[in-house]
Amino acid sequence: MPETPEQPTVNQVAKLARIHLDEQQLTSSGEKLKQILEFVSQLEQVELPKDIEPFFGAIESVNAIREDNLQTSVPREKILDNAPESDGEFYLVPPVFRNTDS
Amino acid sequence: MTLSALNADVIVDQLNAGEVTATDCVQHFLDRIQVHNAELNAFIRVSESALEQAEAIDQRRKAGESLGCLAGLPIAIKDGICVSGQPTTAGSKMLENFSPPYDATIVERLKSADAIIIGKTNMDEFAMGSSTENSFFGPTNNPWATNRVPGGSSGGSAACVAARLAPVAIGSDTGGSIRQPASFCGITGLKPSYGRVSRYGLIAFASSLDQIGPMTRTAKESALLMSVIAGFDPRDSTSSKEQVSDFLKSLETPLAGVRIGVCRDHLNEGLDVEVKTKINDAISVFKQLGANIEEIELPQTKSAIAAYYIIAPCEASSNLARYDGVRYTFRAQANDLEEMYRNTRGQGFGDEVKQRIMLGTYALSSGYYEAYYLKASKVRRMIKQDYDEAFKKVDLILGPTTPTPAFKLGQHTEDPLAMYLADIYTVSANLAGIPAISVPVEPSSTGLPIGLQLQGRAFEENTLLRAAHQFQNETLWHTASPSEPWRTQS
Repeated sequence: MPETPEQPTVNQVAKLARIHLDEQQLTSSGEKLKQILEFVSQLEQVELPKDIEPFFGAIESVNAIREDNLQTSVPREKILDNAPESDGEFYLVPPVFRNTDS
Repeated sequence: MTLSALNADVIVDQLNAGEVTATDCVQHFLDRIQVHNAELNAFIRVSESALEQAEAIDQRRKAGESLGCLAGLPIAIKDGICVSGQPTTAGSKMLENFSPPYDATIVERLKSADAIIIGKTNMDEFAMGSSTENSFFGPTNNPWATNRVPGGSSGGSAACVAARLAPVAIGSDTGGSIRQPASFCGITGLKPSYGRVSRYGLIAFASSLDQIGPMTRTAKESALLMSVIAGFDPRDSTSSKEQVSDFLKSLETPLAGVRIGVCRDHLNEGLDVEVKTKINDAISVFKQLGANIEEIELPQTKSAIAAYYIIAPCEASSNLARYDGVRYTFRAQANDLEEMYRNTRGQGFGDEVKQRIMLGTYALSSGYYEAYYLKASKVRRMIKQDYDEAFKKVDLILGPTTPTPAFKLGQHTEDPLAMYLADIYTVSANLAGIPAISVPVEPSSTGLPIGLQLQGRAFEENTLLRAAHQFQNETLWHTASPSEPWRTQS
């Protein structure tokens, strides 16, 4: 198993997860992460039979396919009712890029 | 006998016979919620339209219309399951104001059967927890001892059935979230086989493990609910086309000749002495019922918690990426898009959810995938193979649901690993996709409920329900109710 993460790595993980954590939360999260990773490192001891396949889903069913027919869906306005901000047609979000001119 | 003392199947019979109206029935349980919910916090919200729906059922009955098989029966739904037009929060600040535009398939089916949704129950945020302490809406208290947890994540559903604030409830189970609270609250809880019940409209935690199921006082009530909610749903591509058994019909078939496996490893290390004794007593009951008890081995289940705490957080980190401040009501202030994502997720998610997303993100990040997710998924295969082997010898596997009875509020909040180990006997069924049920056995000497778990082959819920029902015909533990006013227990 890889080394358990230290502070900079926790920072990096929070960045990847798009979660803002303050200094105190980063420390506490790092400690818990370390504790859990130490616990799960017991998996290292499991000797896998040669050529064992991973099991990703509880049921290995065939692919679910259906006729490509048009069906009614939930109306757009009902979906947008849950949007923090919308113009009635699209979701509105803050600027994607900051204006660096000003 | 007061309505709250009756089982759901008896209530349905009385409603059908006109001995009680749906309005009176719903009012009775609403009154109980009104009196007791402040102390228990089992419900996040009570349905404003429940009485109106009950009146409509009564009118339709009066007019001689044909009604569904649950007509007028109140039912509580875990708040991680979408009910159209009613706030559905998953116990999170992130979804505090979210109102789904559609019904989950199981809700649609319950409504078609003319059941009445009486309210939405409390849960650990996004179903991540084993105590219901991780809810944004505060913890639920166990009606058997209000200073103890009801288990989780479906703690509100378990507590409301135990306290008879609703005759029956629906929960969801990703690693034990139906069975563990059922065990802590002295009720019956069934996690069906993966694919048996549609997940459409269940707010996703870990999609390869999540499953919806009934939480009731008796196995017969669970069978009744399963007969409504089970079956293929084209809107859930993982739901199974496997034929649905007649769950009620097989309940009375005697257990003579049924082979029940007991894994001795699960009855030794780390198990509370009293739990062990009560489970052994229950084994004797199954012997009297004609079942053959055989020893089996499940060597790889010792790695189940470790595998689960890689796989479930990995899936969660992906599933919960959708809560980014764009679509689901909550958005934190920010100057640009990236900052909005980070602030929204930093402020909208609680600590445990953030921790699991962090863990999943770490385990899936570049360079770590093989060591964590892939390894855990291979161990998952070995766990499944253990079950495949065991089920060649036996029809059911019996053991404790949890290593201890309900622990105290706050007891494990600072120690995630201690909390995770509450699921040590339950996670394997989710990893393998098999059904499992928890039923009450004799309580501890201090009066705390203890649960027995039965696990079965995939899609053999009927065998589980039948064994649980036969056990409940022989014992009375499932009929016990916590005494009012609720007590604490040191």
